[in-house]
Amino acid sequence: MQQRSGGWKVINKWLGDKDLKPFKFQEEAWKAYLQGKSGIVNAPTGFGKTFSLFLGAVIAWIDAHPKDYTHKTKNGLQLLWITPLRALAKDLGRAMESALQELDVPWEVGIRSGDTSVAIRAAQKKQMPEVLIITPESLHLLLAQKEYPKVFTRLHTVVVDEWHELMGSKRGVMVELALSRLKGLRREQLRLWGISATIGNLDEALEVLLGPYHNDGIIIRSKLKKKIALKSVIPDEMENYPWAGHLGLKMLPQSLPVIHDSQTTLIFTNTRSQSERWYQSLLVEDPMLAGALALHHGSIDMELRIWVEEALHNGILKAVVCTASLDLGVDFRPVDSVIQVGSPKGVARFLQRAGRSGHQPGAVSKIFFLPTHALELVEAAALKAAMEEELIESKMPVILAYDVLLQYLMTLAVSDGFHANEIWEEVRQTFCYQHLTEDDWQWLLAFLTTGGDALASYDEFKKIERTGDFYICRSRMMAMRHRLHIGTIVSDAMLKVKFMSGGYVGVIEEGFISRLQVGDSFTLAGRNLEYVLIKDMTVLVRKSNSKKSIVPSYQGGRIPLSSNLGRKLREKFNEALSRNTKDPELIALQPLFNLQEELSHIPQANELLIEQIQTEDGYHLFVYPFEGRLVHEVMAALLAYRIGRIRPITFSIAMNDYGFELLSDQPIPLTADNAKQLFSTDNLLTELQTSVNATEMARRKFRDIAVIAGLIFQGYPGKHKANRHLQSSASLLFNVFGDYDPQNLLLRQAFNEVFFYQMEEARLRETLERIAVSKIVITFPQKLTPFCFPIKVDSLRDTMTSEKLEDRIKKLITNG
Amino acid sequence: MVGEIFHFQQQHWHLLPQRAIFWEEEKALILSDLHLGKAAHFRKAGIAVPAGIVQEDLFRLQQLITQYLPTRIIIVGDMFHSHENNEVQYFRIWRQQFSNISVDLVKGNHDIMPDALYGQLQVTVHDTLTLRNIHFIHEPCEDSNGYQYTFSGHLHPAFVMHGAGKQRLRLPCFYFGRHCGILPAFGHFTGSANLDPYSTDAVFVIAGKSIIRAQ
Repeated sequence: MQQRSGGWKVINKWLGDKDLKPFKFQEEAWKAYLQGKSGIVNAPTGFGKTFSLFLGAVIAWIDAHPKDYTHKTKNGLQLLWITPLRALAKDLGRAMESALQELDVPWEVGIRSGDTSVAIRAAQKKQMPEVLIITPESLHLLLAQKEYPKVFTRLHTVVVDEWHELMGSKRGVMVELALSRLKGLRREQLRLWGISATIGNLDEALEVLLGPYHNDGIIIRSKLKKKIALKSVIPDEMENYPWAGHLGLKMLPQSLPVIHDSQTTLIFTNTRSQSERWYQSLLVEDPMLAGALALHHGSIDMELRIWVEEALHNGILKAVVCTASLDLGVDFRPVDSVIQVGSPKGVARFLQRAGRSGHQPGAVSKIFFLPTHALELVEAAALKAAMEEELIESKMPVILAYDVLLQYLMTLAVSDGFHANEIWEEVRQTFCYQHLTEDDWQWLLAFLTTGGDALASYDEFKKIERTGDFYICRSRMMAMRHRLHIGTIVSDAMLKVKFMSGGYVGVIEEGFISRLQVGDSFTLAGRNLEYVLIKDMTVLVRKSNSKKSIVPSYQGGRIPLSSNLGRKLREKFNEALSRNTKDPELIALQPLFNLQEELSHIPQANELLIEQIQTEDGYHLFVYPFEGRLVHEVMAALLAYRIGRIRPITFSIAMNDYGFELLSDQPIPLTADNAKQLFSTDNLLTELQTSVNATEMARRKFRDIAVIAGLIFQGYPGKHKANRHLQSSASLLFNVFGDYDPQNLLLRQAFNEVFFYQMEEARLRETLERIAVSKIVITFPQKLTPFCFPIKVDSLRDTMTSEKLEDRIKKLITNG
Repeated sequence: MVGEIFHFQQQHWHLLPQRAIFWEEEKALILSDLHLGKAAHFRKAGIAVPAGIVQEDLFRLQQLITQYLPTRIIIVGDMFHSHENNEVQYFRIWRQQFSNISVDLVKGNHDIMPDALYGQLQVTVHDTLTLRNIHFIHEPCEDSNGYQYTFSGHLHPAFVMHGAGKQRLRLPCFYFGRHCGILPAFGHFTGSANLDPYSTDAVFVIAGKSIIRAQ
């Protein structure tokens, strides 16, 4: 080993006094850090990833100030620690503070997030702590303050925690942009580090973090492995099992033994509404759980969530029903079991959730898979196989997010203003914007200064002023509005829910409430509530004893199957068909497979199954590519479009992760003769673009884009009414841009997001190529099959038509 | 463009896909919810919606005027979106080419500009208006108000049709209830709200360039 520095020795002694020894990856990280390198640390949770970087910075500090490091204070901001979760910040800060105290380093650790009080912010402005833990949004808010560069004059290290979570999202782009500015301010003196769980494209993650032109980035991988034990809960009676019970409540009694035999159990569901139902049903099934069972999801009051997290720490809860809200985060030591209700849809997410249990280094993570419909048992088998082969998904980095860049430029404009050339150079160095063209850049600047192509001289557009190369926003009102809107997490308008008698319950989507009548009962935070009235963006409720209550469904709750899992899934179906399997899941499913085989067919890996069934709803066409709902959505639209060219026809479309359905009021002209041609890759891109659904999908994407780019006026807190004349829906904006400004970059971005992220064009092409060499099997079952049933009952549907509008209306009128 | 002549309440109403009605007996164009100045209002606040919307809306109105040669234009509220801005001035100039036609505005909740300004724009402002016992008021009424029939706006109505194969289609519409009819929004930069009519009500949907009776 190399010569240990003074600081290193101090750390080793401190650890030695506690009978601890650094892990090898931690020492590697310290070494790389002390050499002035940047990079990524990759290690499983529970092994001290935080200290691999935090202590590196402390060692360097002690080395630089060997004589007076124990009493040097007010040193200015040294280390910026970016975390995606506010909840993480507190525990992180506590851990750092106690280490610093024991090491006798008088650094201060501060937290900056949406929860930070005004007083603390003001104190930080006067004297920044040496370590600041911050969310991406709060970091951008810092950049939106006057004289922000002063904050960073001593900064030498930025650490981005949970980088694998941030990277694939627009929050990750916010981090990239903030880093580009900090690099611009601090140049060579800045070290950038990320902390990441294992993902399929760690090398790319490094490029995204450091920018495509970095040359000294390093990835430090720990050899430590987390042991995971996966067990499927197999239904007692397979024949009576509901094929499409999305919520899995029928299986609930079988989860009780797991809860009883464990110290603390986390029960992961995929949606908030599902978690509400599970919470209530568990209490009905086992009233003894009252008081020891809690609920945790994104719509529950923050204070209540914090209470649940504290209670988890202290081990006073027996079980918590939760959603992705507890995917990330601090370690709850008492948790020794995890139940996953329904498919987790991806290997990475499953591992993450499994890792929530057995947090001590070396402990085994126990996870129980509880299927919500029988076919999900095949997913459990597929998950097991994927885990063994370490087939972990990649996170696709976001590219050319014009909306985030517009927001960022406005951020710089409301603080000190910016010189376009300087920022252009910085932005081009990021991964996200490396291919931004000069034309696009000019368009973005114009969009902020003249509001796009202003045709008329009487135009009154006002936002950013320009003098030569310098851009600044001088309107205090607009600056204030912008600061309130910084961020990229867009949700439906949320309303607070409060009791008439006072007392806060949580938040709920406006869209859900608007469908309720006064007096209706609904469920939130595990309570039955009666809707009384809406006042000042608050829903007032009282307790309800009604037996019938509506569980809110939240948007965006559906996660698509990853391609890794899809591939494993097809292999498992193959295995099931061979009748030669040792997987208990597949053996349990044999009766269902027998029924499927009897009514229709079970596709082998080199086959594509198509079922044509007629019911009172009309003519159904079911196709099973097993590629996940996103790919199916696009394939369904494509197939509908191509069939629509044979003859005018209208379809309603439904899909799940295994396949999709086209439903029409007339027979569907797909035959053994034309099937291959209908699935060909010829003219793929053009036909995708002309399919109606691309526009509809783009319209949905545009909602977030419009909010992020500042086109949707959300009002001020508590002052929403005064600005009613500035309200418009994203859908309306999408229409007017399409009609009057079709070249608008934000519109283009919406379509790009559809093609690259949603449609996953590359994956679609691969699927079609696979189908091209597969055998297409068409069956005509007399009744619904086990495969098609879950799709048919899905109520979320798209429409695709090749009929003339007038003809459609006339038909609807005669039928209706 | 194909309109539909609806013979109703002893009058001839030409329902036009340009989102207006030509009232044959009165030689009047009836429209509602133009929201002139809305785009400029947004742009002034730094929200870069496209700038050409008002020109298109007024060009459409201009074409209707030259085609139907009305003597008056009745606007059933929300003619202007908010406070005065340059698009209002654009309207003033546009207005001059038709100074022989009277413009009657039945005030809507958005019409908040000072009265004197409407005078300068040659717009006569009414709280409500009644011609041949046909009543015009911005917000629709559910019950009978004593007049032969009432026309309103305000809602920006759209109609949803369902059919076999779980199909669904949503289009802006003209609605004729028992006592009150509702006009579609004329302005392009406006949203719409779904109507839930009784089976006895008449609904005409705007299907691109034609008008189709939906029920």
